[in-house]
Amino acid sequence: MSGVRYRVATASEVAEPGDRVIADIEGQEVAVFNVDGDLHALPNFCPHQAAPLCEGEVTGRMVMGDDGWSWEYVQRGEVVTCPWHGWKFDVTTGRNIKDEDVAIPSYDVERDGDDVLVVR
Amino acid sequence: MAQHAKAGRTRTLDAVDVVVDSDAHVTESVDQLLEYVDERDEGLRRIIEDAAQPAHDIYSVAHPTPPFIHTDAFGDVYSDAPTGSLEAKRAEMEEFELDYSILSPTLNLSLATVNNDRAAVVLAKAYNEWVLDQFTEEGDDSILTPVVIPPQAPDKAAEIIDDNGNEDGVCAVSVPSTGLVPPPGHRWYDPIYEAAEDNGLPLLFHSGSGATADIFPVMRKWTEVYAEDHAMVHPFTAMWNLTSMLFQAVPARYPDLQFVFQEAGVGWIPYTKWRLDDHYLELSDEVPGLDKLPSKYVDDQFTFTTQPLGYTGDHPEQLAKMIELVGPENLMYASDLPHPDFDPPEELFDRIRGHLDDEAVRGMMGETAVDVFGLS
Repeated sequence: MSGVRYRVATASEVAEPGDRVIADIEGQEVAVFNVDGDLHALPNFCPHQAAPLCEGEVTGRMVMGDDGWSWEYVQRGEVVTCPWHGWKFDVTTGRNIKDEDVAIPSYDVERDGDDVLVVR
Repeated sequence: MAQHAKAGRTRTLDAVDVVVDSDAHVTESVDQLLEYVDERDEGLRRIIEDAAQPAHDIYSVAHPTPPFIHTDAFGDVYSDAPTGSLEAKRAEMEEFELDYSILSPTLNLSLATVNNDRAAVVLAKAYNEWVLDQFTEEGDDSILTPVVIPPQAPDKAAEIIDDNGNEDGVCAVSVPSTGLVPPPGHRWYDPIYEAAEDNGLPLLFHSGSGATADIFPVMRKWTEVYAEDHAMVHPFTAMWNLTSMLFQAVPARYPDLQFVFQEAGVGWIPYTKWRLDDHYLELSDEVPGLDKLPSKYVDDQFTFTTQPLGYTGDHPEQLAKMIELVGPENLMYASDLPHPDFDPPEELFDRIRGHLDDEAVRGMMGETAVDVFGLS
């Protein structure tokens, strides 16, 4: 895998689903999230107005049910909500959940012994 | 009707093949409509007939001061009913060189204010019978009309659409859109949307200053003059209705429907699109019914008639810039004749030619309306 590997956390810091760390990589803040046991990394940056996106609440998202009536709450623990204006991004992809034209990078994460590495 | 001198007016429309007036009013009186009430509704006809002031005792029309005083080029549109005949509408079309007219009512822009639902249904049916009988002619699509429906009775409105949708002369469905309770995003109106979609007819929303007495967004109480009332009722109605329809996912639920908003001008559209996109992204858990930005639904399923364009003073080029922001493909010229705030076609044409390409200009002046209304 190409890219430079940066050690951003210990495995114990993001061991449980819902855990999150925010690390500094050469001046850029990058967050690592544990979603259902898998690790995902995103820049701590909202493309809307440059907010610290990854400090926001991790939530699910509302979708319309197949019956056209019920509102169903899905993707619990997979959506980060920007603390400034509420824009929501899929933690596993970096994509804005409501506008397909908006996305942030999603970095690969590797485990190496007790180290968690972000590939950037 | 008086003929008006053309001296001093520059005619520049030769460059455009087809001009469609997408909001061409008739001025109906209650007396005219009563002659078209079905025999089965005689009892309701008698009640309506008995009203000394039907605008208040049947409809709830109220203005803070009398509308449009001293501008009587086409008569007093609220009492003389100057465009109450085909001959009068043809004369307007000839004078302003309009090839097609899509008719709108005047009094019945306030149909939503009729307190008795059965009376509203009777009046809507009578209006449709009257306008089809008096204004449309078999084999001639230069004057077409929407079916006007009573929004307070959606099930009956759907029947009216089904009964009239295939008639010669019918090109759309018109919702009198100021004072809708509940607002038009509510599922209450689903029968109307379904019927319009089933009949392949675009759905027009026309606001009206007669309908402002009681209901948001322009409650008449505390407006002291007609100018205040009229200036804001049209854009506020349009903004409120568009917001309700988009956030309640009407265009997503009826993807084959085309919507036309009439008589709010153009300047409010970019502002509203930006604002709705902003709220869609910030409050997304509240709008799960939408699959794309509200502005994209607007681009795909909504058109807007241009009148009243507003006065841009020494900077007419600003209107062309505004139209670029809206998207010219979503705009259709309208005159609003014979109402005293009408725009002749040159009011639009002269300010956009030279700024927009020929295709955009031809589309706005008529070709987009040819598509939307299925004109030949």
